[in-house]
Amino acid sequence: MRSRHYESPMRTLSRRGTPALRAFLAAICLGGAIILAMVSCSPEEPLSLIPPGHASWKRTTSQVLDYPVPGHEDNLRVIRMNDTGFAYTITADDGLVFPEGTILTKDVYMGRSPADGAQPVMVTAMVKAPSDSRARGGWVWVVKDTKTGRETVQTGDFCVRCHHDANEKHPYGQRNPDAEFRDYVFMVPER
Amino acid sequence: MTVLYTFFMNPIFPAGRRALSLTGRINLAVILTLFVGLGLVSTLFTTSLVNTRHTLVDSNLQREADVLYTSIESFMLPGEAPIAASFFDDVSNLGTGYTLALYRRDGTLAFSDDTTIGKVNELLGRQRFVPRGQPGGADGVPSVDTSGAFSLAVAVPPESIYVTENEGGRTYKRVYRPLINLPRCTVCHGGDHTIRGVLDIRTDISASVRAEALTIAGSGLGFIVMVSVIALILGRMMRVIVVLPVQEIGRVCSAVTGGNFSGRVDIRSSDEIGRLADTVNEMVHGLHERYELTKYVSGTTISSLASGQEPKRVERTLLFSDVRGFTAYTERHGAEAILSVLNQMLHMQSVIIHHQGGDVDKFVGDEVVSVFSGDDAPLRAVRAAMKIQAMVRQRAADYDNLAIGMGIATGSVVQGMVGSETRADFTVLGDAVNVASRLCSIAKPGQILVCETTGAHIPAETVTLDGPYRAKLKGKAEPQKVFIVRLQEGTS
Repeated sequence: MRSRHYESPMRTLSRRGTPALRAFLAAICLGGAIILAMVSCSPEEPLSLIPPGHASWKRTTSQVLDYPVPGHEDNLRVIRMNDTGFAYTITADDGLVFPEGTILTKDVYMGRSPADGAQPVMVTAMVKAPSDSRARGGWVWVVKDTKTGRETVQTGDFCVRCHHDANEKHPYGQRNPDAEFRDYVFMVPER
Repeated sequence: MTVLYTFFMNPIFPAGRRALSLTGRINLAVILTLFVGLGLVSTLFTTSLVNTRHTLVDSNLQREADVLYTSIESFMLPGEAPIAASFFDDVSNLGTGYTLALYRRDGTLAFSDDTTIGKVNELLGRQRFVPRGQPGGADGVPSVDTSGAFSLAVAVPPESIYVTENEGGRTYKRVYRPLINLPRCTVCHGGDHTIRGVLDIRTDISASVRAEALTIAGSGLGFIVMVSVIALILGRMMRVIVVLPVQEIGRVCSAVTGGNFSGRVDIRSSDEIGRLADTVNEMVHGLHERYELTKYVSGTTISSLASGQEPKRVERTLLFSDVRGFTAYTERHGAEAILSVLNQMLHMQSVIIHHQGGDVDKFVGDEVVSVFSGDDAPLRAVRAAMKIQAMVRQRAADYDNLAIGMGIATGSVVQGMVGSETRADFTVLGDAVNVASRLCSIAKPGQILVCETTGAHIPAETVTLDGPYRAKLKGKAEPQKVFIVRLQEGTS
C-alpha cells in the first residue's frame, strides 16, 4: 500500500513565510538541487518494462474478461503473455511457476463493450524478476498510462495483495479449488 | 557574493560615514560565516527532526491501521462480520488517545445500519446475516468530509493519506487507510468496486509537537549562544593574531612618519605576521640609516634623486661664508680642540640657512656653500647672512671671537652631478658661484658683500645696501660692482 500526505489548507497557510524567507529557502533548495544534479551519475531514463510489441503476443485465455473485478471494475480486460511465459511448469509440489523473464500484460479498456478499434486506457503488466528490488512476490508490477506513455512500478501492496488471492481459492476462472500455488495469476494460461 | 567580497576587501563608505575597522570587519565576517554555516546545519537539523517526527508518527499510524485492517479482514473473510463490528467497537472505546472510525466508501459510517447487511444478503441470495433493525443508513449522509483527503483515499490506486490538523489549539495527525475489496471479499460484496471502505485513525500529537517546538527553541537559543561564544572567541583570537600585530606595525610606521626611528615591532612569531614585523623592522632600520645620511647630503641632492639627475641651467643665489683667521686659530689651538667651535658655528649657519629656505650645498673646511632658489632667493640669502652675522656677534664668546666674511652672488648656474659613478656631488657650477666665492674671500670679518645682480633684487625698504663699490675680483678683467650690506645692531 503506497501512502502520501494530504496538505490541509490550514497547514498550508501556516507554512507560508515572508518573501525573504521563502527566497532564502528557495535558494537553499536550488543549491541543493544543483549539487544533487551534479553528483548524480547519469540522468534517469524513462521506465520501459512493457515492450512495444506486446499487443501481438498470444492471449492467455479465450474467455471475455468483462465481468467486474476490484481494481478494474467492469472494464474489459485482454490478457497476453510473451513466449517465455508459456514455458511455465505445473508440478504437484510447486504448483504453477512461470520462468524468469515472463511478462504478462493486461490491456484495460473503458467499459465492458468498447467500440471496435478502441485503444486501451491503461496497460498493466507483471514482469517475472525475482531479483529486482522492486519485485513483490517475484513479480514487478507495472502500470502504464496509455495517454502519457508513462510507466509506473507499483511498489505498494495494491496489485500484489489482490493477486495474492490467486494462490488460494478465488472466484475467478478455474477458482483454484485446491488452493494450489498459482504464482499470483488467477487463470492458468491456455497453451 | 560580489557585494560581500567588495565590502570585506575594500569597504568604501559614503562621505561622512566612518569606515568599519579591521576588527569590526573580521568580527562581522566571523559572525556572518558562523550564522550562515551553523544556520544551515541548524536548519537541516531542525528539518530532519521535524521530518523524523512526521515519519515516526506516520509509521506508527500506518502500523496500527494495518493491524486493525488485518484484524477486521480476519473476522470478515470467514463471514464473521458481527464479530468484526463488535471488535471495532471495542477498540474504538479503548480510549488510548485515538479516535477510530470505519467509513464505507461513500463516507457513511460502517456497522452503523443494515445497509451492508442487506446488500450482502441480496448478493448471496439468502439471509446470511440478520439485520440489526437499523435500516436507512442515515439517509446516505456522509459522516466525514468526502471532498478532501478522504476522496484521495478512495481513489485508485488506493493510498494511505495523512493529514495534520489543528483544532482547539491542539494538533492531530490523521490517516485515512483504504480497505481493498479483495477477490475473496467479492463473494459477499461483489466485484464492482475496488475500495471497500476507509479506516480513519486520528491521534493527538500535541505533546510531541510541543516537545518538538521546545527542542527547536532550545536548539535555536543554543545556536545563538554557541555562535556568540564562538564569535567572541574567534574575534579575540583574530584580534590577538592579526589586529594587534597590525596595529603595532601601524604604530611603528606612524612614528617613522613623524621622524622617530627608535620604535621596533615587537612580535615574536615565525608566521607571516612575524615575517612582516621583521621586514618592517629592517625597513625602519634602513630608513633610519638613510635619514642619518641625509645630514651629509644637500637637500638639492636629495630632491634631484627624485626629480632626475640630468644637468640643467637654473637661476640661483649663492651664499658663501668663511671663518676669518681660522687657519691661524687652528695652528694656535690644534685641530682637535677647534672642532667643537667649528661645528657649533657650522651648525648655527646651517640652521639659519635652512630656516630661510636655503640649502647647504657643502662644507669645505670652515667654509659653507649654500644655495637659494626662487624669486626672492636674493633677499632670503641676504637675510640669512645678516642673521648669521648677528648670531656670531651675539655668541662671540662661544666662538672664541672668531668672525665670518660672506659673499652673495646671483646668476645663471648649471645644476648637476659632479664626480664619478661611485662618488659624486649634486652641485652648481657657473659664474655666479665664482663671483660669490670671490666676494666671500675679499669680505672683511663681519662683512657681507653682494654682487650687482643680487643688490638689484633687494628692496630698499627691507635691507640697506651701501655702494655700489667697485671691486677687482680674481678671474674678472673688469672691476665688478659690489654692495655691502649694512648690518644693524641687534639684527637677529
